[in-house]
Amino acid sequence: MNRSQVVAVIFVTAASFMGGCSRTSSSAPSATKSTAPERPVYFRVDPSAAGTITGKILFTGKAPVHKKIDMDEDPLCAKLHKTAVYDDTLELGRKGAVANAFVYIKKGLEGKKFEPPAEPVTIDQRGCWFEPRVIGMQAGQSLKAVNSDPVTHNIHPRAKVNREWNQNQPEGAEPAIRKFAYPEVMIRVKCNIHPWMKAWIGVVDNPYFAVTGADGSFEMKNVPPGVYTIEAWQEELGTQEQQVTVAASGNAAADFTFKGDAK
Amino acid sequence: MLVGQRSKFLYGGCARAAEISAPRTGGNSTQPATAKSSLLERPTARVRYHNVVPTMDRRVSAIALPAVTLLSLFLIVVSCGEKPKVAEAAARPVGAPITIQPPLGLPPVPIPADNPPTAETIALGRRLYYDTQLSADDTVACANCHNPALAFTDGRPVSLGVAGKTGTRNAPTVLNAAYNTSQFWDGRAKSLEDQAGGPIQNPLEMNQPHEAMVAKIGKLAEYKAAFDNAFGHGPITVDKVEKAIASFERTLLSGNSPFDRYEYGGDKTAMSESAIRGLAIFREKQKGNCVVCHTIEDHYALFTDGKFHNIGEGLDPNGELKDLGRYEVTKVDADRGAFRTPTLRDIAKTGPYMHDGHVKTLKDVVDFYVGGGTSNPYLDKEIKELKLNGTERADLVAFLEALSGDMPANSGPPSQ
Repeated sequence: MNRSQVVAVIFVTAASFMGGCSRTSSSAPSATKSTAPERPVYFRVDPSAAGTITGKILFTGKAPVHKKIDMDEDPLCAKLHKTAVYDDTLELGRKGAVANAFVYIKKGLEGKKFEPPAEPVTIDQRGCWFEPRVIGMQAGQSLKAVNSDPVTHNIHPRAKVNREWNQNQPEGAEPAIRKFAYPEVMIRVKCNIHPWMKAWIGVVDNPYFAVTGADGSFEMKNVPPGVYTIEAWQEELGTQEQQVTVAASGNAAADFTFKGDAK
Repeated sequence: MLVGQRSKFLYGGCARAAEISAPRTGGNSTQPATAKSSLLERPTARVRYHNVVPTMDRRVSAIALPAVTLLSLFLIVVSCGEKPKVAEAAARPVGAPITIQPPLGLPPVPIPADNPPTAETIALGRRLYYDTQLSADDTVACANCHNPALAFTDGRPVSLGVAGKTGTRNAPTVLNAAYNTSQFWDGRAKSLEDQAGGPIQNPLEMNQPHEAMVAKIGKLAEYKAAFDNAFGHGPITVDKVEKAIASFERTLLSGNSPFDRYEYGGDKTAMSESAIRGLAIFREKQKGNCVVCHTIEDHYALFTDGKFHNIGEGLDPNGELKDLGRYEVTKVDADRGAFRTPTLRDIAKTGPYMHDGHVKTLKDVVDFYVGGGTSNPYLDKEIKELKLNGTERADLVAFLEALSGDMPANSGPPSQ
């Protein structure tokens, strides 16, 4: 019997064994598949009784001097800007209004489970800068990281509660789609390639969160009546908490004032 | 019958993707169309290099098991009584062996004992390398994807085979492939000889079964004498084709780059100041530490450790590995997403980069490593963020550009 024949016979025999094996192994999962995981029971807000929380974040200290950003590490990034780029760690609007503050319900919703939105939240890497700088999202919701630049980025949320990850994205890469499974306030986001790029993600397990605009104000709608602890966070100023009571179909106000000079 | 059956099985075996994801229609009931369509998902045929056992149709296997076992026994009995058929004898070059002289910066060329290069085998291999008749529709030669004008690559993210079919991996350069301890991105071929036959019958590349290729070449008068001169009188065989192509490829050496002249030739002006700084960063453990995989020796440099690493490249948007690479060959978990370290010689001319060709420029390559790739459970421990300032990053690019060597002589298409 020559070599090719031996090989053929071994093949034929082995193939038949493999066939037998794959039969038993592949039939197993199909049997268990019939029982789908149970869908969690989500809390439904009664819109007729829901109220609104509004407020404003203010800073009473001296406005900081914004430092110029040095993009020397990547000349292609520098080229994307016709004018100088300045640090925006603490952006103040008129009369000390604090932009990019993250506000959310920290306590008072225990036992209520809210369905994460199907729509992803987008963070764009544009001009070698994260847009927006502060993002709020729900645990289980998708984060869509886009690279709009002609350079390579490497987005790296330095999560501590959630799994830490980073993703290399060359020019033209597909957006990265990732989820954070657990609440975490805040996750610092950096680009591993461009150290000046910074962003923050607040992940909460309810839909009551907001990021302040240039006027420092925020609004949370459709809040069930109750007593809540609201936290306001700003990367330079730190955090403050206060309690609010939302009456049925009522409006509650929660203004926060950060005093003194920025650190 | 046996030979036919064997090749059918091997053909089925090459459709590995079918075993993983596609419906189990391939296997031993091979219908060429099915096998082909499932192969579309894989870049390369795994034809001769795997101990891949094709999966049977589940419905058939229950009866097939005893039947095939009986058949096997029957065949053993029958074939033992038969006079052994003449197997394809291993060919040996008949001409005078010649020494391939490596350029500055390269070690002696490893030569397999059964295929010493001769002027005749090299010339024949060169002819075959540039001959589109090796493909099913006479459109694709080795040189299509390994083009001398592009430092023996094709400048595309992934290559074009017959009828515009595309694979999923980037064509590596043939330059200095003679030194590789394994071939293909996943190392599934041991030698250049092993490698040469793969693309010929890969449905996504040249799509021509070996039997058909040999039959076709055998009818061409111009080849008859060339094969006889190279291997002695006898039929044209796949073995001879592979050996000839491999011998030609062993002459495709590139060295004497500015780096070689600087490092091994004693010419301290051969590299720019920036490239010299880049070399230091390339070596320094606390900086680039590129040499940990892209090796530089005392008297030569191949810029590859010949090993397989998961560098966190080519993951999908969800951070999952798209191509399991070396794992497909070894089935060892640690090899998931690992690919063979490529040489860096002539790297400035062989973009786009990485196994999937997703990285366009050398700056992007350096930035990739500065960023530490994409996190995944199988990431090599040597891959981590690098602290390099802008000048240092530019210096690394300058160094990589200093690895462009002299193109080998007599490597283009043969004149006649």
